[in-house]
Amino acid sequence: MAQRKRLSNTQSSSQSKEEDEDTTFTQPSTSQVQRGLEKLSSAQVDQKTAEVVQYFLVRDQKKIPVRRADLVKQVVQKEYRNIYPEIMKRAARTFDEVFGLKMVEIDAKNHMYILINKLETVEGESPINSPTNPKMGLLFVILSLIFMKGGTVRENLIWNTLKKLRVDPGEKHDEFGDVKRVVTDEFVRQRYLEYVKIPHTEPVEYEFRWGQRADVEVSKAKILEFMGQLHDQDPQGWSQQYREAHSTSNTSQASTSSQR
Amino acid sequence: MDKRRGGNDDESPRQNGAPAVRRKGDQQQSDGGDGGLGPADLHDEDNDPGLRREIRSKYRDLINSVQQNREDMLSPSNNRLTEVLEEANKLFKDVRQAREAALDAQLLVVATDLGKEKASQLFAEGTAFDPSAFAEHLLSFMGLNRLEDGEDEQQNGADGYLPQDAWHRVARRAECCFRTAPSFHYMMGSFHAEPPPPKQRIERQRKAPGKEAKRIMPTQLKKMEGSHQEATEKEVERILGYLKSYYQDDPTSPISYYEFVINPDSFSRTVENIFHTSFLVRDGLARMYLDDDKLPCIAPVEEGEVEAGGTQSRKQCIVSISPKTWKELIDAFDIRDTMIHPPSTQNE
Repeated sequence: MAQRKRLSNTQSSSQSKEEDEDTTFTQPSTSQVQRGLEKLSSAQVDQKTAEVVQYFLVRDQKKIPVRRADLVKQVVQKEYRNIYPEIMKRAARTFDEVFGLKMVEIDAKNHMYILINKLETVEGESPINSPTNPKMGLLFVILSLIFMKGGTVRENLIWNTLKKLRVDPGEKHDEFGDVKRVVTDEFVRQRYLEYVKIPHTEPVEYEFRWGQRADVEVSKAKILEFMGQLHDQDPQGWSQQYREAHSTSNTSQASTSSQR
Repeated sequence: MDKRRGGNDDESPRQNGAPAVRRKGDQQQSDGGDGGLGPADLHDEDNDPGLRREIRSKYRDLINSVQQNREDMLSPSNNRLTEVLEEANKLFKDVRQAREAALDAQLLVVATDLGKEKASQLFAEGTAFDPSAFAEHLLSFMGLNRLEDGEDEQQNGADGYLPQDAWHRVARRAECCFRTAPSFHYMMGSFHAEPPPPKQRIERQRKAPGKEAKRIMPTQLKKMEGSHQEATEKEVERILGYLKSYYQDDPTSPISYYEFVINPDSFSRTVENIFHTSFLVRDGLARMYLDDDKLPCIAPVEEGEVEAGGTQSRKQCIVSISPKTWKELIDAFDIRDTMIHPPSTQNE
C-alpha cells in the first residue's frame, strides 16, 4: 500500500491537475444517457464517436495515454457530455471491430486510456518486415531487468547495465540521443515505466518499476521465454519470475497488482 | 579516554551504528572539556588537518568503490564487501572528529544495503539473475564483434564493436513481447499545400482584346504573349506593310492611331486591328507617341532604331474599346474609310 501512495505523491504534478479538471465531470447515469440519446440523431452520435476514435488514434501515435478530462473538454464537449458513456461504448466497439484494437483504462483513478493490440502476437520474430523502433529494444532491456529483479530496481542498476551495453546516460547516444531523458521522461510519460523517488536518500535516488501501460501491454511470459533463449536456460529455472509471469499473463486488464 | 575508545573499537559489532553515534558524543565532550588536558601529541593528532583530510578521503574512496562497483560486490563469487568492511574497520581506529564519523556512518548505510541485497539473493528461489551476464548475452545477440584475446570486461568500448543495427535486432526480437497498437498514419499522407503557380501569362492572354476603356493612352509598349499562329503573324506583317507605306507617303505627317486601327464598317475588324498592331509595338517595329494635342499616334520604327528601342525602358498599357466608344471615335475623327483593309479585299 505504501508503494501506491508513493506513486501518487511523486508522480508529476500534472496528475493533480488532471484530477481537478476531472472532478467537474461526473459520469452520467443511465437514465441521463437515455434522455440524452433521445435528443440527438443517430448521425450526430456516430459523428461524435468517429471524432473520439480519431482523437485516440492520433494521440496514440506518440503513445501518450488519453485523459478523460482532455477527451471531454476537447472532443466530446458540452453538448454530448451526458451521453459520454454511450460514445465510449461505441468507440470501443469501433476499435474492436474495425481496427482490432482494445481501448483499456490503465488508470481507474485518473481515468487514462490507451490502445493496445487485440491480436495475438506471433511466436518469435514477426514475419512482417515493418521498420523497427530501436527505442523498443532499449525499453525491452529495462523492463526485463526490472521484471527479473523482482519488480523494483534502483536506478543505478539500470544505468550500470546499460553502460555495459554501450549506452551511457551521461553521453549522447547515436541511436537514442539523450538517454536519460528518453528513459526517465519519455518512457514514464508513456506509462511504460515508473520512476519513483526513494525516500530518505541523500543524494536523491530513484527506483524503476513497470508502468501501467507495460502491465497491460507487455507479456512477462514472453520476456521470460526470451531470457531462457538468451541464457540458454529453462525459463522455469527462474521459479519466482515464472510463477509471476504465468499468473498475471492471463489477465489482460490493468490491475493495481503490486509487483512484489 | 583513548583506551576506552580503543576498547570499544575492538568489541562493538560493526553492524549497528549506535557505537559510532555514542562515540561522536564522547568526542564532542572530550573536545569541549579537554581543552587543556591530555598529552600534547595526541591533541595534535586529533586536530591535524592533514591527517583528518586523509582519513575522510579514504572513507570517500571506500564509499565510492562500493557504489560504483555495486554489481561486482553483489556477486556471490567474491568477498569484496567483507574486504571493504575490514578496511573501514581499520580506518575507524583513527577517527576522531564528527565529520569522519559521519562518513563512516554513510559507508555503513551503503554497505548494509548491499549486504541486505546479497542476503536476499541467498534466499531467492531458483536461479539468481545476474545483470552482468544478461548484458553479456545481449551483446552477443546484438552481434558484437569481439576483438581477439582476453580484453578485460571492465574496459568499455575496447572489447569489440557493435553493428549499426544492434538495437534494431533487439527491438525486432522484442516485438512479440509487446501488444502495441500499430501507430495510425494516413497511407498517402496529407496533400502538400503549395501556392498555385502564378497565372500571369494566362491572364495576359485573356486581356489581349482589352476591356477597360481609357481615352488617355500614354505611349507605352505593350507586353503580350501572342499566339503563334501563322495567320496572326501574317496579319501583323501585312499591317506593318500598311503602316510603312502610309508613313512613306508622308513621313512628316503623323498617323493618328485611331484613324489607323479603326474600321468604320466593322467593330470586330477594328478590334483585330488593335490586336495586331499591338504586336508591332511589342516587337519594337512600331512606336506610339502622343502628338501636340495629346492624341496617340503611331509610326514605324526605322530599321536602325529597332535596337535602340529595345534598350529603352518598356512601358505597358492596356487598350480597350467598346462598340459605343468605337462609334464615338468614328464620329470624333470623322473616319470614313478604313486604313487597314480586311484580308479578303487585299490586293497584292
